[in-house]
Amino acid sequence: MNTFVWRRALAVARKEVYHILRDPATLGAALVLPVFMVVMFGVAIEFNIKNVALAVNDADNTQSSRRLLDTFDSSGYFLIHDARSPHDAITEVSSEKARAALIIPPHFEKDLFAGRGAVAQILVDGSDNSTVGPVLGYVGSIQMLASQRIGDFNQTLPYDMRTRFQFNPELNSRWFVIPGLTVVVMSILSILLTALTVAREWENGSMELLLSTPVEPLEIIVGKLAPYGILGIIAVVLVYIIARTVFGVPFVGSLWVFGLGALLFLMTYLAQGLLISVATRKQTVAMQLAMMTGYLPSNLLSGFIFPITSMPAFFQYFTMLLPARWFMQIARDTFLKGSSLLELGGPFLALSAICGLMIFLAKRRFKRDLEP
Amino acid sequence: MMNKTLIGFIKKELIQTLRDRRMRVLLFVMPVIQLTLFGVALSNEVKNIRLAAVFDSKDTVLRDIYERSIAGKWFIPARSATQDPYTLIEADDADAVLVPPPGGFTRALGRGNAQLQVLVNAVNVVQAQSIEGYLQNIVQDTVRDDLGLTPPVLPIQVSTRVLFNPELKTSVFLVPGVMCMIMIISTMVLTNMAIVREKEMGTFEMLISAPVSRSEVIYGKTIPYVLLGMSNVPLILAVVVFVFQVPMRGSLVALFIAAFAFVCTAVALGTLVSTYCRNQQQAALAGFLFNFPMIMFSGMMFPLENMPAALRWLAFFDPLAHFMGLLRNIMLKGGEIDYVATHIFYLAVIAVVSIVASFRRFHTTLE
Repeated sequence: MNTFVWRRALAVARKEVYHILRDPATLGAALVLPVFMVVMFGVAIEFNIKNVALAVNDADNTQSSRRLLDTFDSSGYFLIHDARSPHDAITEVSSEKARAALIIPPHFEKDLFAGRGAVAQILVDGSDNSTVGPVLGYVGSIQMLASQRIGDFNQTLPYDMRTRFQFNPELNSRWFVIPGLTVVVMSILSILLTALTVAREWENGSMELLLSTPVEPLEIIVGKLAPYGILGIIAVVLVYIIARTVFGVPFVGSLWVFGLGALLFLMTYLAQGLLISVATRKQTVAMQLAMMTGYLPSNLLSGFIFPITSMPAFFQYFTMLLPARWFMQIARDTFLKGSSLLELGGPFLALSAICGLMIFLAKRRFKRDLEP
Repeated sequence: MMNKTLIGFIKKELIQTLRDRRMRVLLFVMPVIQLTLFGVALSNEVKNIRLAAVFDSKDTVLRDIYERSIAGKWFIPARSATQDPYTLIEADDADAVLVPPPGGFTRALGRGNAQLQVLVNAVNVVQAQSIEGYLQNIVQDTVRDDLGLTPPVLPIQVSTRVLFNPELKTSVFLVPGVMCMIMIISTMVLTNMAIVREKEMGTFEMLISAPVSRSEVIYGKTIPYVLLGMSNVPLILAVVVFVFQVPMRGSLVALFIAAFAFVCTAVALGTLVSTYCRNQQQAALAGFLFNFPMIMFSGMMFPLENMPAALRWLAFFDPLAHFMGLLRNIMLKGGEIDYVATHIFYLAVIAVVSIVASFRRFHTTLE
């Protein structure tokens, strides 16, 4: 009675494949989504802040003040435009027309020639934290450069500090973001689609029907999930191909290690999706739950953009429960560092443990709800 | 417009959504939990960087640099199993390693050609940039102190002041962003799925054949979700202001008008999208298809200025971008009337266009 028969699982899978194929919009969206996201990110993302809108009020309007402005301009980080008064310049910041205001007082050149030290003031918009740090850094180096150019200042530091960036020497933002995208894309497709597809069977009442047939529960699960697993794999392959060919992201590791990680991650999220659908049995609820437990954490707490090491200690431990965190590390390390399976032992062990747990929970819940 | 049919319709819709206990939890409890969770956890300040330095006992300057770094708030000591700097980075035992020239950094400084190399793990680009910046300052200060150099007085100085958030608290910047993100999920996605569900179940046909007008159907299906979305606002706002201490400098009225405009726009967009979807699976996928770019163009994760100009105009169509701007402007800057009015107007335009388009779509698809 309780024997697993592949033929029956395959029959369920075939039905599911027909269902997917019959609905080209879903299939299209499932395949277009990853491509679209990678291209968007690849084209649009740049972490090096440029084009900071700078409102300038130059009350001095002398050769020195203009040369200071020129130094700002030629740095390439700022887009300069004039403001009529210091007050106007600050208003521009509070009405989002400028990110920073530069105010040069009337006696700027006089102070410079008198050797008193000429002081200009820059006011930076603190409501956008991500720009403040870099802008302050730029201002520091512009101040140095302007002093050398305009004020004949030449004191150099007695040493030379060189930074070597391992694994991404030119700090290319794409190399950082796109490998991480594989995680985000997979988390959307796998958890969401499975959560919905099984929940729908419940909602339509066809699950009861399916269960009264000779098909075993486990066969139903395998049959229903396998096609979505394959869809998830296709999505990863697509992301990989675009990353490599269009955006030139290097892949120095082993494809086997990456593939194994992807497979484990996929299984974990399929199981989690199944658990959600069995627990909710309603697509609207399943969708919200999938968003909250699958999508947002894999986007925000996996280290995709916000580094895990910067989180408070509790959350650093908390993220260890998230499969996305581990696969994020596997994806980035295989792409950029070329880590071997042994070096990634920790993440693989953790991912396998979570995967096992999820499958166990999903299976138990599924059984409990079905067998009287 | 507010006739009995419509009110009955709205009641039915609210009861149907809220009758499920899990849905109530998802709609009212989860946003608060998530906001708190993400608000506490996320930060764009890079901290806890594992630093290693290879130095001998005579290299006092490098030792000072290392100790000063560890004493500051950004660095922690790396557990150094090996002395080889490359292996340290390779094995992920350290995020940054200070490598002195042969013979030590102190002696090289005496010779006058000191070169200090810093190896940084750059898998995370943002982190790598911050590490370089932090170290540059620490090394400069330490070398000056140790060699007894007075910091030079620059002939030209640019004094800096940070407006609106002088302590650079991350929560002030991030929490409004997370709030927007959570709100769009519980408005746009929910509306979309609720309508499509009705279609999928075949009950929509029933509605059409019932003696209700088309506008009653549309309003009856959208107003409940506007109400649900708005009921979330005070809840989330309370967390933002009381838990995270984000200042509320502008007027509450302006904020509620902005939130109302945003919720209406999100619901209207959800309705429009729902006219294109045949089943809930499609609706969910469409939700993501819209959600992701919306978050991207909102400026929450990446500064908008950095995008190529050819793409930046897309942000105009992103209700999330407008709302994020409004929220930050009103809460942190007190709400500049021009800015607030303009962006609420843009939101209204998007809402009206989507509602009109939905009406037309209903027309063609149902009758």
